Amino acid sequence: MTVPTTATPVAAPAAARRSLPRRSRALLVTPTIVVVTVGLVIVWIRSQDFTAPGRAPEGRALDLGGLLASFGEHVYLVAISTLVVVAISIPLGILLSRPSAGRLGDAVLAFGGFMQALPPFGVIIIMAFSPLGFGAPSAIVALVIASFLPVLTNTVVGLRQVDASYIEAARGMGMSAGMTLRLVELPLAVPVMVAGIRVALVLNVGTATLATFIGAGGLGTPLLSMLKLGRTDAAFAVAALVAALALFVDWLAAVAEQVVRGSGG
Amino acid sequence: MIGRTPRASATAVVTAAALVLAGCAGGGLQQSSGAAAGGGSLAQKVDLTGQSYTVGSKDFDEQLVLCEMTVAVLESVKATVTPKCNIGGTEATRNALLGGQIDMYWDYTGTAQVTFLGGKPIQDARQQYDTVKSADLAKNQIEWLAPSAFNNTYAFAVSEAKAQELNLNSDSDMAAYYAKGGTGTTCVESEYLVRDDGLPGFQKTYGFQLPGGQPTVLETGAVYQATADPTKCLFGEVFTTDGRIPALKLRVLKDDKTYHPLYNAALTVRKPVFDKNPAIADAFAPVAAALTDEEMLKLNGQKSSDNVPQRKVARDWLIAKGFIGADQN
Repeated sequence: MTVPTTATPVAAPAAARRSLPRRSRALLVTPTIVVVTVGLVIVWIRSQDFTAPGRAPEGRALDLGGLLASFGEHVYLVAISTLVVVAISIPLGILLSRPSAGRLGDAVLAFGGFMQALPPFGVIIIMAFSPLGFGAPSAIVALVIASFLPVLTNTVVGLRQVDASYIEAARGMGMSAGMTLRLVELPLAVPVMVAGIRVALVLNVGTATLATFIGAGGLGTPLLSMLKLGRTDAAFAVAALVAALALFVDWLAAVAEQVVRGSGG
Repeated sequence: MIGRTPRASATAVVTAAALVLAGCAGGGLQQSSGAAAGGGSLAQKVDLTGQSYTVGSKDFDEQLVLCEMTVAVLESVKATVTPKCNIGGTEATRNALLGGQIDMYWDYTGTAQVTFLGGKPIQDARQQYDTVKSADLAKNQIEWLAPSAFNNTYAFAVSEAKAQELNLNSDSDMAAYYAKGGTGTTCVESEYLVRDDGLPGFQKTYGFQLPGGQPTVLETGAVYQATADPTKCLFGEVFTTDGRIPALKLRVLKDDKTYHPLYNAALTVRKPVFDKNPAIADAFAPVAAALTDEEMLKLNGQKSSDNVPQRKVARDWLIAKGFIGADQN
């Protein structure tokens, strides 16, 4: 199996190999942390007196209604960009993993490595001055560029690592290439593929804070205004929300993985 | 003004190089003290031989130019200078001054009045300066030298062509445009969105409300670029002395209800340092007076749009004005 150095596959989570009940229990840890974090942030915000002199800017940035709107924008950016990444990277990864693709796969993965090496801050600003203009579409394109590689790499690597004898056995039983892919290769590759999607999700949650630079909103707006004004506590509170969102979407993907594996196995 | 977005790291490298150069030049001048005597008008009035100063600044272009200017002025009056330009945002730079890591840097009267002294902005430049000067000296042992003529404050700008088409000259025109149902986009950076002297109070003062979904929040530098294209941003929040205003052909709207606080700059100096030789004030008074809005716009433009190193921008201007000798380039 050839793996370009720029695109090391992300290891499937150790949890995937454990027994189901233990994994189910492990899945409770993350939501607990998320709920506690969000709860603490809200309690802290409500305990603050923003009418005190000089604190009005924090009050405006941490207004719960406004935060919820920013949160919604953030989730929208992450959801759409991750869906686009999955829609592009998984079919492309399947194509590139076919023996007929030959060395093309390595070339595409190397190109993917180059795209991911571009700094998202630069890409997002450049996108805003493309015909897409300012706003969410540009931000989504920038997020896709920043996060499609792990999904692509893990799809290719996940499929390539399937033992050739299983494929031969499936073909020997009379399965077509398509059936072999659907019933043998993909189910066996799912843990590695999902690991890639989880990396993309977490990357997108972080990178989406840059969307505020091009008018696409998100939690970056209150975060940046508080950072610029030197309000460390408030900036930390918003950053904690971003971290909680990252943990939460990672957890969602882990749950989805179990469901997929459960039905497939 | 409180923290602006730092430039790319490339600028930091350039700045670092300039610092090294400036440091070398300072040392060189020290050794040949007498040589520059015939130089500029400042050296004929002030002599700070034997004094040594550490000069700092915040991290945006105007501050970098002012920092280099301060270094050049002090060198021309034969002081020894350690440049520490580009320290960081307002908080970091002010703390460096209060903590004695630097002896002086340029700050803005509006920032001091609101952020350091916790007061309300005063809409009279002289009065605000006097208030800040006496309060900061009494409370924090910081001397404010003569204020600049220029006022680097927030403003809204429109592309010149569009401003002519829609006949937009003042912020009241902007309010009227929206009151009549105009749908052009207003773009601001994230800080202005929540500042006490930012957008909420601006809309209140001018009695209008932006249409739903507005404003669009952009990166500070992107606002200028985007405002050059009225289909992206019709109105852009800018700083009045930013060099990109002339470069991108923007028209700054007049703040006809004087909503935005006044931000005149002045060199702030620790009192013990100032007391060593108060003649330092005489060296900077003529320089500050010569720094009008137009001059500062021009200097900032050379730095931000034409990419001239701040050291060259500062020294060329001081030489052209006759403040320092041509041999100090």
